[in-house]
Amino acid sequence: MTVRLVVALLAIAATPLEAQQDDAARLAGRVSPEVAALVRQLATDAAARGLPVDPLIQKAIEGGAKGVSPDRVVIAVRGVAAQLDAAAGDLREAGLTPLDTEAIAAGAFALNAGLAGRDVVTLARASRAAYGAAVTLRVAGTLTALGVPAAETVALVSETIRAGRKPGDLLALPGRVQAEVARGATPAQAAAGLARAAAAHANAPGQNRPKHPHP
Amino acid sequence: MTDFHPLVKQLLDGEVTLADLPPGLRAEGEEALRLLGAVHREPVTLPAALEAGVMTAVRHRAAAPSLWRRLTAPREVRLRVRPWTLAPALAAAAALALLLSPPRPEPKATTVTVRFVLFAPQAQQVALAGTFNQWDPAATPLVSTGASGIWTATLTLPAGEHQYAFVVDGARWVPDPAAPAVDDGFGRRNSVLTL
Repeated sequence: MTVRLVVALLAIAATPLEAQQDDAARLAGRVSPEVAALVRQLATDAAARGLPVDPLIQKAIEGGAKGVSPDRVVIAVRGVAAQLDAAAGDLREAGLTPLDTEAIAAGAFALNAGLAGRDVVTLARASRAAYGAAVTLRVAGTLTALGVPAAETVALVSETIRAGRKPGDLLALPGRVQAEVARGATPAQAAAGLARAAAAHANAPGQNRPKHPHP
Repeated sequence: MTDFHPLVKQLLDGEVTLADLPPGLRAEGEEALRLLGAVHREPVTLPAALEAGVMTAVRHRAAAPSLWRRLTAPREVRLRVRPWTLAPALAAAAALALLLSPPRPEPKATTVTVRFVLFAPQAQQVALAGTFNQWDPAATPLVSTGASGIWTATLTLPAGEHQYAFVVDGARWVPDPAAPAVDDGFGRRNSVLTL
């Protein structure tokens, strides 16, 4: 029994070290050793705050691949860490606890795409079991990246969830907006039209709305 | 009752927009949306006298035998369990539990096959670099389709959000003109793909 306990404790203690070695291996040869050391430190600090580490490593590797100067790589990685912190704060404000790293990364992406913290809070509150916060925020971020204004993005995603549409329909929203834009609508008009259709569906008599709010 | 065209029913379901309808059906679609919006949904309020009368009658009937009498009255209870009757009962209980269980989220597709296309008639080589291949410009070359200048690559990617760019002639990072894009933090744009 004692041996089993010791083995289990050793395994728990060794996990962060393995993760650090994995991050070091990913950074090796992709950025300078100095940048790699700084990024590893930022990643360790982020992990201690419960933030996902992968976006930081990815940003550093991306900077290296694009031939960006080491200073700018570190600035960009710090920027990603700040967005992850902000997203985690917004999700906490929305009452999503415990936080999962996937939702935090999606929140940071949505912020980077142009949504404000209050939008992330609203969308996280609108998300439900069938439409996890991560998927909701990814879709919202993608819509914003398409040029849909934040207000229309929030309305479209919220109405689609309220209408009880399938998660696949949520993921299809950016494609539907793009199709409307190809027909001549502005991103805002396209999103507003789709939101109106979703609202009509949600308000139709006998609609089976989701009954299980996010845990 | 009006029987709407199937496309108009799709409009009411929110599956298509008014703009998706053929011009000949748009008037019918607008009328259907108008009717849907005009449905009266205010709660019905009953007259106070009627409600009071009903509640008096209900209370009168409910007052019959006292709880103490029902609990203390002697009665015979026989319980007979036959093992072969348990199987259908368990099956019925399982079916009931299945029916009453809350709806589960749709199983997520773990991977999705995506085709990337870039029109670059002057390019000698085009590659794809992104979060899915550790931003390695050598990992995913695109194939030119003859002299058309169209370069393509088909990838199977995990569900989630991916960022990427095309790398033209090994040096020029070009965002996908057909995809949404976000600031990459280095003064350029990354294309975004959400699956």
